[in-house]
Amino acid sequence: MLTRKRLRLGNRDLPFQLVLFAFGIVTFFPLVLVVITSFKSNTQFYHNFWLPELPLHLGNYRSAFRIIWRFILNSVIYSGSTICLIAAIASVAGYVFARFRFPFKTVLFLGFITLIMVPGVLTLAPRFVLVRDLGMVNTPFALISVWVSGGLVLSTWLMRSYFESLPQELFDAAYVDGAAEWQVFLYVSVPLARPMIATVAMTTLIGTWNDLIWPLVTITDKSQMPLALGLMQFSSDFETDWGTLFAGYVISSIPLLCVFAVAMRQFISGLTSGSIKA
Amino acid sequence: MLRRLATSPPGAKGNSARQSALPIRIWRAKWLYLALLTPVALLLIFEWLPAFSALYNSLYIWNGGKVHFYVGLEHYERMLSDRTFRVAITNLVGFVFFRVIMQTVLPFFAAEMIINLRSQRWSYWWKIIFVFPMVVPTILNYLIWRFIYNPQVGLLNEGLKLVGLGEYTHAWLGDPLTVMWALAFVRFPWLPTLQFLIILGGLQTIPQEVHESAAIDGAGFWRRLFYIDIPMTRRQITLAMILTMLFMTQRFDLFLVMTDGGPGYSSMVPALQLYQSAFHFLEFGYASAIGVVLFVAMLSLTVINLRVSAGAAND
Repeated sequence: MLTRKRLRLGNRDLPFQLVLFAFGIVTFFPLVLVVITSFKSNTQFYHNFWLPELPLHLGNYRSAFRIIWRFILNSVIYSGSTICLIAAIASVAGYVFARFRFPFKTVLFLGFITLIMVPGVLTLAPRFVLVRDLGMVNTPFALISVWVSGGLVLSTWLMRSYFESLPQELFDAAYVDGAAEWQVFLYVSVPLARPMIATVAMTTLIGTWNDLIWPLVTITDKSQMPLALGLMQFSSDFETDWGTLFAGYVISSIPLLCVFAVAMRQFISGLTSGSIKA
Repeated sequence: MLRRLATSPPGAKGNSARQSALPIRIWRAKWLYLALLTPVALLLIFEWLPAFSALYNSLYIWNGGKVHFYVGLEHYERMLSDRTFRVAITNLVGFVFFRVIMQTVLPFFAAEMIINLRSQRWSYWWKIIFVFPMVVPTILNYLIWRFIYNPQVGLLNEGLKLVGLGEYTHAWLGDPLTVMWALAFVRFPWLPTLQFLIILGGLQTIPQEVHESAAIDGAGFWRRLFYIDIPMTRRQITLAMILTMLFMTQRFDLFLVMTDGGPGYSSMVPALQLYQSAFHFLEFGYASAIGVVLFVAMLSLTVINLRVSAGAAND
């Protein structure tokens, strides 16, 4: 009886596999079409919409790269500095909130976490006026300062819960060995918190890499634009030059693809853990 | 001396703190305050200040500069009679409703099928495959779907011609009747990564034994779905729904990139109207008032949603 059930369960996968396979195909179809079209000239594209066609027009990639590289570089710089700053500031703040008792601690911490409920759309307009009056429009500071402060809210919370979960004996051992507080933080706590720091870095990367609206209102200088905004500009400049347009799309997906390939696990856990704890 | 939290013996909590007066305790913690100075300053300047500025300036006529005078609740009254705003709210409600269902049902079924596979290796690969589209920058999702809906050389119209339904080709984004539907289906077969992973995580925590005993009791796929899997992942489903709701209410980059609210006002949403009021018409006061209304709506929807799901869980 049981063996028969086992056997039946054995090919139970087949219908699911078929549905998933169909689903996978429709998921990847637009992407594949974009890649195919990126190698075509406009005549080839209008003449033959669906299928790849020789000769391949690699020149599309050359002309797209000439414009896109600048945006990618900008985004790497902006997102990179934001990630470093958030990791540093949130580790320190999380450590202080997790390990010490001091007056007004609760009030200060509430000052962090209640901001989770404040949506970006509420603060958009007044924040722009503020940043403009501080003279930061069209400088990287407009992006980095706001991204850092926005990201700190969740990151500090995540770092605090992580440091709280570390066992007390660990710290006692370090203190007994004569370590100063900063040494305990830098040489014991931070190395242990590496997985959480990676999570914070990933969340920040995705958020800043894809942010369109804030750069749109603060950056008008083309040479300063991050990737998301640059792509919007690029797509209207090359509106009907489909090959170049799609080559640019392919190129601009490569950076996150590399991160995804190298750190897939972190990528996935970074996305979920941030929100599941919330 | 810094006062470490956990080094005081258990039970003596707070005793040592009461020994000295507040100013002394504050002085002792000076290094801690110094360590918190940067984040607190950043949050005060770039988060709290704009938030209160929005509340305050929603009562003013303000061009973002020198023109600034008190009008009380006039902006809120104006919203009641603003036809654009009414269209925007109607659009948003329908859009959010549709997206919440789609972005919950679709990932749920995908996740359900993936964890049902007996081959662990395939499970793993399907998971990667469906998460993959997230390497594409968000703006490219919109730009690719703008290409799909393109009236001249769009993927959708070309596909219709290919299967002989050429008479149904359409300017999907250019027609007030179809534009909201077209927008609702942006990114359609692609799973929402976050919601997918949350629901998948929930389904994975259901112990194998529960499924095995259900199978022995003769429960098929659908029975198991409705009596085990959905009830046991209610928390994750609620979270996925709340997240979709909050994203869709405040993110307007989709509308901005695809249609900019057009044709006419037929695909306007409140967040986009806020953006246009502030940055096209320099009505920062009215924009702030729309922001306040959205904030209150999102807050109350979240609370209601949490209450309902908590209530259902207690039954």
